[in-house]
Amino acid sequence: MKICMLSLTCCAGCFLSFLSGGEDLYNFLTKDVEVVYSPTFVDTREIPRVDLAIVEGGVRTEADEELLREMRAKSTTLVALGICATHGGVTSLGNRMSLKKFLEQNFPKTQSRVLPGLKDMMYPICTFVDVDYYVPGCPPMPDRIIKTLRSIVKGEKPERVKEVVCLECPRKILPVKPGRLYGTYEKKADPNICLLSQGFICLGSLTRRGCGAPCPRAGFTCFGCRGPPDPLLYRSRDLFELLVNVTSKRTGIPAEEVRKELYANPFVFHAFIFSKTLERFKAKERVI
Amino acid sequence: MSKTPRQITITPTTRIEGHGKVTIWLDEFGDVSDAHFHATEIRGFEQFLRGMESDRLPFIISRICGVCSTAHIMASVKAIEDAYQAKIPETARKIRELLLMAQVITNHSLVFFFLTLPDFWFEEEENPQKRNVFQIMREDPKIGKKALDLKMFGTRLLATVGGRHIHIVSVIPGGVIRPLSESQRAQLSKEAKSGVALAREALALGKSLFQKKWKDFRHVAVTKANYMSLTKGGDLNFYEGKVRVKDVEGKIVTEFLPKDYMDYVDEKTFDWTYAKFAYLKKQGWPQGIVKVSSTARMNVVDNVDTPFARREFLEFKETYGAPAHETLLFDYARLIELLYACEKAQELLEDKTITKPKVRVTFSPREADGVGVVEAPRGTLMHRYSLDTHGRLQDIRLIIPTQVNNAAINMSVKSAAARIIKKGEIKPGLLNKIEMVIRAYDPCIKCASRTVENGSWLRVEVLDSRGELLNAS
Repeated sequence: MKICMLSLTCCAGCFLSFLSGGEDLYNFLTKDVEVVYSPTFVDTREIPRVDLAIVEGGVRTEADEELLREMRAKSTTLVALGICATHGGVTSLGNRMSLKKFLEQNFPKTQSRVLPGLKDMMYPICTFVDVDYYVPGCPPMPDRIIKTLRSIVKGEKPERVKEVVCLECPRKILPVKPGRLYGTYEKKADPNICLLSQGFICLGSLTRRGCGAPCPRAGFTCFGCRGPPDPLLYRSRDLFELLVNVTSKRTGIPAEEVRKELYANPFVFHAFIFSKTLERFKAKERVI
Repeated sequence: MSKTPRQITITPTTRIEGHGKVTIWLDEFGDVSDAHFHATEIRGFEQFLRGMESDRLPFIISRICGVCSTAHIMASVKAIEDAYQAKIPETARKIRELLLMAQVITNHSLVFFFLTLPDFWFEEEENPQKRNVFQIMREDPKIGKKALDLKMFGTRLLATVGGRHIHIVSVIPGGVIRPLSESQRAQLSKEAKSGVALAREALALGKSLFQKKWKDFRHVAVTKANYMSLTKGGDLNFYEGKVRVKDVEGKIVTEFLPKDYMDYVDEKTFDWTYAKFAYLKKQGWPQGIVKVSSTARMNVVDNVDTPFARREFLEFKETYGAPAHETLLFDYARLIELLYACEKAQELLEDKTITKPKVRVTFSPREADGVGVVEAPRGTLMHRYSLDTHGRLQDIRLIIPTQVNNAAINMSVKSAAARIIKKGEIKPGLLNKIEMVIRAYDPCIKCASRTVENGSWLRVEVLDSRGELLNAS
């Protein structure tokens, strides 16, 4: 099968994650597919017609949109790989300011002849094209990526994970009554008890599983890089109250206090899905 | 032959991290009058991170670059600790150095096998569509396997010690979040042994291919500049030390503490690229153009303190001179560092004290400024933060290796283009040489183009004659 790897505005971590697949990756690359276009790894400069297109990154520049549309037109199946492609990712935190206006005011006119123009904000790719499968994560784990791509290559439906990270987390939810919320470096966490119960804002209960919960396992809070699970996919406005309720329930801190503290920090949750166009997800069956 | 000025563009530049493009301008005789390497993407990190709390910052800021995320996290936590005057336990320092070695291993093996090896492996006339790592994997499965194995050694180190294989979570302000267990140490130490063996093979392969093509390569782009790197008492060290600068002749110009970085380095912008240019403040522009990354480190340090890498380091110096100026030597020097990183990782893992339980100190936020500097795979990386009383980010300045190399990259591209294009004649296969020069620097456009800084775009400079040439295109 001919595949192509297109990288839009991102950190390149998703393709790097794909390439961290070890033995499985080796077999996939040498037996299942032929990479015919990928500016990061292959010298072809024109996008050829392919069976499968994997797109990392979101749309920040006009050039991103052009490439993406061309890619869609020339591919049978298109996969959005990583949270930038699926939801806009960290770059969409910049959507809070008008970068475009700023640039227009300060750049000389000749600018546009050399460099691609900027969009008013960062967009997930489904804003512009139809996406067949979404694999969110920052980055998604190599085994999940390869498993998903393998299924697609075989013509099968990729396995979906719909639930929250807590299901994959070995920590026990126990009442510890921390008294207040804590920043990561303020206090050492008990290695066996739920981080949220201990007063650390862990987003596991609002985030799609499928990563194996590496962050809470390591002692660090989940910060939501896989985006919302199925039940919360279309309810981004409810996330805040949900987090307040879960936190209050597990810590014993009154909801009002939690709300006040969380509200004071805009970065607390889902730094990865700040993009406006969440509701444009065509179908949740496509979210892996 | 063309009678009017014209331009040649290479877009997109391939086998580098990020979106780039090259424009070469020819004069009326068809000779190269100027050449630019443009960064064509942008994200805005310095703007949208303002207001973020410092315990979250390192993990969001690592998203600047997936390829060198660990280096960004290290610089970030060091800057925060500098602000809070926190001293981390010795065991935490060892674990961090180990993780930084894992970063060098994953990056350098990726760059060697996946990005630059195809240029050395295939003949110039080879069909460009074949000139890639996937083709090498098909032609020589053994090499392909070894490439992935070596990269996986670094990846497993990151996953086990860092908690994640990319964008690690275990390094936090104050130390590391959990100690390394004895069983993890024992297992990884075993893997390190084969890592060193693989790195030696990679170096032997790279060296033989490099030597075979050296005659052809050596004059492609000789770019003389100053060199800068962190060094710990003269030794190669990625995690800590002083920043040392050597001039074109190889004389030490200055040595300063990381916290004084901004007193020595300044930046400027041009209107044709989304990446900024860093240079040495005292020497000014363009005398202060300075190179970082592998060759620069080889040129700056006096010693490499692991046995195999030291031997290679000495041979490199003797063969190619000190300082070595040929651009393509970056590829060779990177392999010496790859070996160093594997040996260093092994050394750290064989030290049983790395599993000591005290790995962090805790502290409360307060208002302060701090600077963090590490050697990222691509060169000296600096983060400077101002934090408010709640530990939230008020002001931020980042100077990234690719910004430091940016001027030298453009100089090298121009000199390579001038050698390759004469009287308007271009052999298609040869344009790849220009890209090889760019690849040698291993630029990371993801890193270099993360921002638009307030005001700095107002000082746009148009290079002489460029305006005219643009109109002619």
